[in-house]
Amino acid sequence: MEPAVEVHRLTKTYPGGVEAVKAVDFAIEPGEVFGLLGPNGAGKSTTIGMLTTTIEPTSGSARLAGHDVIDEPIAARSVSGVVFQDPVVDRGLTGRRNLQIHARLWGVDPTRAAERIVELTRAFGIEELLGRPVSSYSGGERRRLEIARALLSDPRVLFLDEPTVGLDPRIRYELLDLIGGLRAARDMTILLTTHYLDEAERLCDRVAIVHEGRVVALDAPGALLMAFGREIVELRVGGDPAEVLDALRSRGVANGDAFTIGSSVTIPLVEVASRDAIAEIHRLGVAAESLTTRTPTLDDVYLRLTGSRLDLAA
Amino acid sequence: MAATLAAPSVAVPRPGGRRLAALATLTRRRFALTAHTPRELFVPLLTPILFATVIAPALGKTVGTFAPGIDYMTFVAIATAGLLVPLNTMFSGIGVIVDRESGARRDMLAAPIQRSLVVLGNLAVAFAITALQVVALVGAAVLRGADFHTSAQSALWFAAGAGFLAIGMYGVAETLANRVPRVEEYIAATPAIAIVPWFFAGSLFPLGTLPVGLAWFARFLPLTHALALMRYGLLDRQGTGLRDIWGMHSATLMAMLSLAVVAAFAVAMTLISIRVFTRSAVR
Repeated sequence: MEPAVEVHRLTKTYPGGVEAVKAVDFAIEPGEVFGLLGPNGAGKSTTIGMLTTTIEPTSGSARLAGHDVIDEPIAARSVSGVVFQDPVVDRGLTGRRNLQIHARLWGVDPTRAAERIVELTRAFGIEELLGRPVSSYSGGERRRLEIARALLSDPRVLFLDEPTVGLDPRIRYELLDLIGGLRAARDMTILLTTHYLDEAERLCDRVAIVHEGRVVALDAPGALLMAFGREIVELRVGGDPAEVLDALRSRGVANGDAFTIGSSVTIPLVEVASRDAIAEIHRLGVAAESLTTRTPTLDDVYLRLTGSRLDLAA
Repeated sequence: MAATLAAPSVAVPRPGGRRLAALATLTRRRFALTAHTPRELFVPLLTPILFATVIAPALGKTVGTFAPGIDYMTFVAIATAGLLVPLNTMFSGIGVIVDRESGARRDMLAAPIQRSLVVLGNLAVAFAITALQVVALVGAAVLRGADFHTSAQSALWFAAGAGFLAIGMYGVAETLANRVPRVEEYIAATPAIAIVPWFFAGSLFPLGTLPVGLAWFARFLPLTHALALMRYGLLDRQGTGLRDIWGMHSATLMAMLSLAVVAAFAVAMTLISIRVFTRSAVR
């Protein structure tokens, strides 16, 4: 089956020599939810911009449902819907008018558009707001309107560019439910960018971790986490963390996946139980300022691959 | 809150008339946004109406008949249309910046349509509103006592001059709006573009009364040709203003030449504005 999204050696260098995206490759299968995970400035939005034909690639190619975004931009746009990172609505118009305009621009039959507006706004809980100007909507209401708008044309590929950024936690979790609902109910490919780890873990079939314009890891969240075993020991040390790590490696507590960042040593426990590892750390007489055990997250994957913490980088 | 939705159905693109349908949608959108802020409809009208109903009669009373068969009040009343058109079209350009900064421009750019249609939709509304305002202005001048010498046929020269000027000036507005980063810079540039040429274009006095150098400069302004055409259509059936520009004998020939200048201005600025928009839309 033809991939819904196919990206080959896609590169963007902005004027001034800023390399935002560097020869990125990935393919997304129909119906898959695919995440681009990385901090601000990693190149996620530039990648989406190239796929939605608002940013011109410097080199490489990309296809949406078989349509080349450079050679067939209108055909590529006709099979996609976008929810942008920033609010992109006509605030002076009502929610209904915003939806109608979008439907007409995407060539949706007016009768079908009217049905879809009712169906989507009811599902998203904004049916009662449609007669009001969008300027009176809360941030969460406006976001739901934008997602409903992107779905009006039944796109084969839906781009969600940081859909929950800037929203308060309650609304953010409501939106995650909503996006999860899309995933469960629709045969649609979703490309989601985020710097929230929980969003990627919760929603995505596969995740590409993006760092400084490159994809540094690409797999299912579970597969990415598997390398870290079931638990992680993290200790903050007063002395040289590299020396501590060497000592732990020589005792077989840490393996090649362990790493240091600043004064912290992170040790994935693949073959050793946490109780045994902690006992060995104590036997070594390491001057640990703190010692914790926890389950691994995508942040650990990101940290090991890039040397920086995702939430801080974002 | 969890969304449960029906299975999708594929939207079938309509091959015929798709472009026109998109243009109609974009035009209606722009009109709805413009009508939402009535200042865009009325503010540009204030100064020209004031000119036509207060200043022009006062000047007319002072100057009287300054050329055979031409009443100065009517002469100035037509000049106010030459002020209204650039002012109104430049005000319309603010909507382009609002779209970019806080509107739905990016959604339109992601739409499966030719991006030039966005510019043409804006142009259609700017043109329609300007036409409405020019009609209101001429009506106000008539009520105040302006003495037009025209017929349905000759009024077409007026309509063509004003129409092409409006199209060209909207092209200038759209181009500027897509080039400047902030609305403050756009507003600062508006008087220089919309008002300054008016003083050199034979608005308040015949071109021949200007110093030779300025008169030559004025001949290169599209507004000069548009004003001469508008006067030829509504007042100056001898083509005195056109003769000041071209120095020929046939009023019809001179009118056609000036029409060609204004039409070329309109076409060129529309093409430039589309190019600037589409280039600025893609980084």
